Amino acid sequence: MVDVLTTVVNAVTISALYALVAIGFTLIFGVGGVLNLAHGAILTIGAFTAYYATSALGLGIWTGAAAALVVAAVFSAVLYLGMIRWVQDEPILVMILTLVTSIAIEQFFVVTVGTQSKAVPSLLPGQLTLAGISVQTNQALTFVLSWVLIGGLIVAVNYTQTGKAILATSMTKKGAALVGIESDRMYLYTWLLAGALAGVAGVFLASYRTASYTMGRGPLILSFSIVVLGGIGSIRGSVVGAYLIGFLEVFTVSYVDSSLSGLASLVVLVVVLLVRPEGLFGRELTEA
Amino acid sequence: MDRRRFLQFAGTGVATASLAGCMGGSKSKDANQQLDGPIKIGVLAPEPGNNPIGASMANSAKLAAKQLNDNGGVLGSDVNVVVKDTKEDPATGKRKYQELTVGEQVDLTTGVFTSEVQLNLMSSIAQQQTLHLNTGAASPETTRKVAENYDRFKYYFRTGPVNSHYLGQNMVDFAKANFESMGWNSVAILAEDYTWTEPISKALNGSLSEAGIDVPVNKRYAGGTENFSPIYDDVANAGVDAAYVVMAHTGTSAVVQWAKQQRPFGFGGIHVPMQLPSYYGSVNGACRYAVTQNSATPQSEITSKTVPYANAYQKANGKYPVYTGYITFDAVKMYAEAVKQAGSKESGKVIPKLENMSYTGTTAEAVEYYGRDHQYPHDVKYGKKYAWPVWLQWRETEGSGSQEVIWPDNLSTTKYQSPPWV
Repeated sequence: MVDVLTTVVNAVTISALYALVAIGFTLIFGVGGVLNLAHGAILTIGAFTAYYATSALGLGIWTGAAAALVVAAVFSAVLYLGMIRWVQDEPILVMILTLVTSIAIEQFFVVTVGTQSKAVPSLLPGQLTLAGISVQTNQALTFVLSWVLIGGLIVAVNYTQTGKAILATSMTKKGAALVGIESDRMYLYTWLLAGALAGVAGVFLASYRTASYTMGRGPLILSFSIVVLGGIGSIRGSVVGAYLIGFLEVFTVSYVDSSLSGLASLVVLVVVLLVRPEGLFGRELTEA
Repeated sequence: MDRRRFLQFAGTGVATASLAGCMGGSKSKDANQQLDGPIKIGVLAPEPGNNPIGASMANSAKLAAKQLNDNGGVLGSDVNVVVKDTKEDPATGKRKYQELTVGEQVDLTTGVFTSEVQLNLMSSIAQQQTLHLNTGAASPETTRKVAENYDRFKYYFRTGPVNSHYLGQNMVDFAKANFESMGWNSVAILAEDYTWTEPISKALNGSLSEAGIDVPVNKRYAGGTENFSPIYDDVANAGVDAAYVVMAHTGTSAVVQWAKQQRPFGFGGIHVPMQLPSYYGSVNGACRYAVTQNSATPQSEITSKTVPYANAYQKANGKYPVYTGYITFDAVKMYAEAVKQAGSKESGKVIPKLENMSYTGTTAEAVEYYGRDHQYPHDVKYGKKYAWPVWLQWRETEGSGSQEVIWPDNLSTTKYQSPPWV
């Protein structure tokens, strides 16, 4: 039987990463009401940007991570401006378009990179010893950076003018418009933010697992469970949901069966939708 | 139209039958005469544009064809190669096989990496009655079909690698010969859950324990596994000396995580991605100190043909091939030899020549197939005289990686070295 403390460390670090992915996903849904099925693929774009920056261009991994953040954010914004903006009131069309985009991105990487996984350097190599167990420095950095970004985001949303405007748009588009908030611009900001967070998450995920064209699928499916469990549109809910799902997944894989990876979170998704569809911290939509 | 063609006509439906009927005109001529037109070889390769396994198949078939053509062809006929992408998908593979046999009317099909794809082609091969030399998929289920119904499946051969039952046997042979000196007294077996690994797991189960090796963990993990941390926690917790692995599709994630996490155990076994000569660079050296079985390496002089082939491939393509390349090269050359001996491209006449041939290839002094009465008829023979894989360890020399052979002894360039963190 594996040491519980080791499992807890694994769970905490992977949850920190899931939180980054899920917050972006929930921001777009909470503010714009758009279900972005290409969110996982944007994570893949971030990972391969870092891979190309380090392997083909010979840049350092930190530069690669910065490039991943920018490229993923820009791609996300272009996706919104070029495609989603025109159809955002048609939820089925949005789902189909983002799903198709996701598949197209995967196929792009199959053609350009191939089906074999690629290694991405760790942002901080080496190991730390914490409470008698050894932890990868890269994992510890993921945890710290995740909280820095989450903290920064919470502060930005609650205390800056733009953040408040985003929050207002998420509550009521009409009300926000009445006080002069341009909802389209707020949507663009959320897509930019979500893309940047997914890009960073992609680099971390690739740096300790490898980058592959399918790497975004798992986090996307987990994001559904996390966001529904935490409450759609709630950043706080996404963080709590990410940790609950992260722990559930790691403990299931460690103590039940490694082949059950991903199944536990889907069971949670179904149960929450049936029993408490608004999630832990969700709210009813204020307008239809 | 002859009886064979008529049966095919009836079996494949009107649309396909119309095409088959068109084929009948040219193929039903007396095959004892000179070869009728060029020899067409169809290669079924996964992602030949960017997957080294598929690229090695496609490029090696082309290299073999070029060498044959440069030497006057086969019985005066040119050899042409057509490549189709299976995308490692059984349905796509079947469609591409139909395109090659019905559309392109090839005389031979070769390639195929994934066992799931190869198994899905077996009925089509029987129906088309076009010779097929498998050069990548290892499941013994395919040759078991030949044993069950020879007349129906006799068109199918496996030139390599040895089937997965023998791959497992080879892992046991390697363990018996080397584990003591490597310090691997206890190992955790980790096998990805795909068709090709099932016979290997069976061959390993119990055999290592009988050889005095402790096996506290014996795990078949899910095919889509990306996160190896929980699995490695288990392995580390069991306190074993090494993870003895059977991996193709999930291998890169596994070896990268092993190296990055500096897990306190060695890593080796059958690891298909690590067989690629350029692998070191693509994983930033994460495969250093890891061990894998392989059919051949560019520098290993298994036969007098091995190194010249690897160098010719490198010259033509700018990089060295992976094992599927060596085998495909041998398959095409062996087929050409069989056609010469038969004086015909007709499958019925080429098959007996292949069955009785002992061919010196790039991977073995004697590439031979098991006979009709064997458990695996038409499978390449396993053994020291026949196909006998090499084992290599990835080492770093002057900042870049090299595949150093550690077994068999006559080909070894170094001894196994334990990772410094173990």
